[in-house]
Amino acid sequence: MSEQPDVSAFCPKGDVLVIAEQILGDLQPVTLELLGAGRILADKMERNLKCLVLGYNLGDIPQKLIEAGADEVYVADDKELFSYRTLPYRRVVIDFLDSLPEAPHTCLLGSTTTGRDLAPRISAHFDTGLTADCTELDIGPYEHKSKVDPSKIGLYPNCLYAIRPSFGESLKARILGPWKNPQMATTRPGVMTPNKYEPGRKGKITTVPVKLVPEDYRLIVADTVREVSKGVKLTEADVIIGGGYGLGSADGFDLLRQLADTFENSAIGASRKVVDLGWIPYQHQVGQTGKTVRPKLYIACGISGAIQHRVGMSKSGLIIAINKDPDSPIFKFAHHGIVGDIYQIVPEMIKQFAEIQSGRGVEAVVGSH
Amino acid sequence: MSAGLNIYVLVKQVPDTGSKAGLNPDGTIDRAKAKRMLNPFDRFALQAALHAKRTYGGKVTAISMGPPPAVEVLLETLEHGVDEAYLLSDRRLAASDTLATAYALHKVLNYIGKPDLIFCGLQTTDGDTAQVGPQIAERLGLPQVTYCEDFHMEDGKVHARRIIEGGYQKVVADTPLLITVANSYHPLEYKSFRGAWRVRRLARDQEEMKKYIHSIDLDVVEADPERTGLKGSPTIVAWTEKVGELGGSCTMHEGQSAHELVSDVLKASDLEQLLVGAISK
Repeated sequence: MSEQPDVSAFCPKGDVLVIAEQILGDLQPVTLELLGAGRILADKMERNLKCLVLGYNLGDIPQKLIEAGADEVYVADDKELFSYRTLPYRRVVIDFLDSLPEAPHTCLLGSTTTGRDLAPRISAHFDTGLTADCTELDIGPYEHKSKVDPSKIGLYPNCLYAIRPSFGESLKARILGPWKNPQMATTRPGVMTPNKYEPGRKGKITTVPVKLVPEDYRLIVADTVREVSKGVKLTEADVIIGGGYGLGSADGFDLLRQLADTFENSAIGASRKVVDLGWIPYQHQVGQTGKTVRPKLYIACGISGAIQHRVGMSKSGLIIAINKDPDSPIFKFAHHGIVGDIYQIVPEMIKQFAEIQSGRGVEAVVGSH
Repeated sequence: MSAGLNIYVLVKQVPDTGSKAGLNPDGTIDRAKAKRMLNPFDRFALQAALHAKRTYGGKVTAISMGPPPAVEVLLETLEHGVDEAYLLSDRRLAASDTLATAYALHKVLNYIGKPDLIFCGLQTTDGDTAQVGPQIAERLGLPQVTYCEDFHMEDGKVHARRIIEGGYQKVVADTPLLITVANSYHPLEYKSFRGAWRVRRLARDQEEMKKYIHSIDLDVVEADPERTGLKGSPTIVAWTEKVGELGGSCTMHEGQSAHELVSDVLKASDLEQLLVGAISK
């Protein structure tokens, strides 16, 4: 026997597990992002990347998950799982985790309305740590020295580093919980990078039994509605036109919608103040108490840029701000600031943007000859 | 329902991030100095709890966990019409993560009595996790409706509408039920004159106050101290790092006609590239 302390107890094996998310058969983009992040973690520890997907009539989704980076896919396909419901999904995930010979090292879900509903139930059931809304994930060592709980002292070689902003994003906190597996985290949609699809990639697909009990039916879904209306899928838009109190009234959003219509994949965002005033529904809210977005282009119209809004959009590719007040905080972090009246600038933008696009149209025709 | 509903609302006192008071130079919050307020998300939960009481009858009890000053937010809930409140305060709760917090709060709910409806804010502004509500539901073995933006009751069941990505779900749930309330629910109404008057009277009479705000600790609710605080928390904040200050790089355009301003921005930025690239129509 070696004299070395037994560190195997501190760095249990176990794979990386992603719990996939689909709504009415649509695989959610955050799942592909999680497979991207999960792949890196699994490779670092030389473990497998597993993926569990729940739903009904899932068709080619399991194979898609393999092509997106999973080594093994576990499929719970049952008509009771058609719409997401906390209790049946929770039951299947818990039974699945119990059936594994060893707990996964890491378990990842998206910070979506589904992931944030399900993940805390799983974490509380297994008494394991869960970090919400991560923006970075990594694997690394950690030495715990605090004597508050002597049973926790030790060197942990493979810990999940769950990194998330805190205190209004002025700080990044690294949160660890290596004492119990699975180490759980949810990640913000739109932040992690998906793997490149590998068509025809081979992996193992296993069916997972679905055994529900009467208590799981204490909540039923009467209807699941996806609104096709433009401007709600904020986290997936390439261009977001954001409106704030500087618009003066709810009618101002009509003008912003016209500007948004200049782009293919665009959406309308809003500051908390105008949502609170009822000018536009909550689904449009960007910021600490709304959505975090990362479009290629964010045009902020009459938004002051308070921290609560900034944290939700400061990572956008190009930020153009229009505001009457030259001292507005938004001009501290926008890339281009226009001091002026929205009702003069935005119509001018619509006009000039359209000119550029029709110009391109002409060139394209000329080019094809 | 003849006996009326047993309604609970869970609230938290958080630092007022809108004010600069109490911010340490490194950007962390000095909780002793910071101004304090009722977690803004909890205002919607409070409105939902009071609405349930007014519409279906019953009693609303507010519960908070935190240091003694958290009594301020409980007084605020009384001003709005909450009937009774409990403050769980105990040094052994310090540094609790969400799991340890949920453990302690579920012990409080078990101690006070049989809930029909438990309302929570969607999340807090100081933690932003949205985990404690569902973790309490798990500990109590209850169904839950998170991101609830509207609800009504019919034949003892709760009919609720919850937000999902790009749409909504309509659900029907049995009670007891835990509900986390979204910001798209009705905003909190102004406090009533009667409520404000009642609290002012209570504030003058400590004995009277004790009848409405109960101070409890871990021993009272028979919680295992090993499962709270740092010991009971499976996660720790290992370290924090400061995120670089934003700013300084904004190119300003001003003092010209709207036409010139827009064409300036077009010239100076990658906007034109974006417009003729993949994202335009």
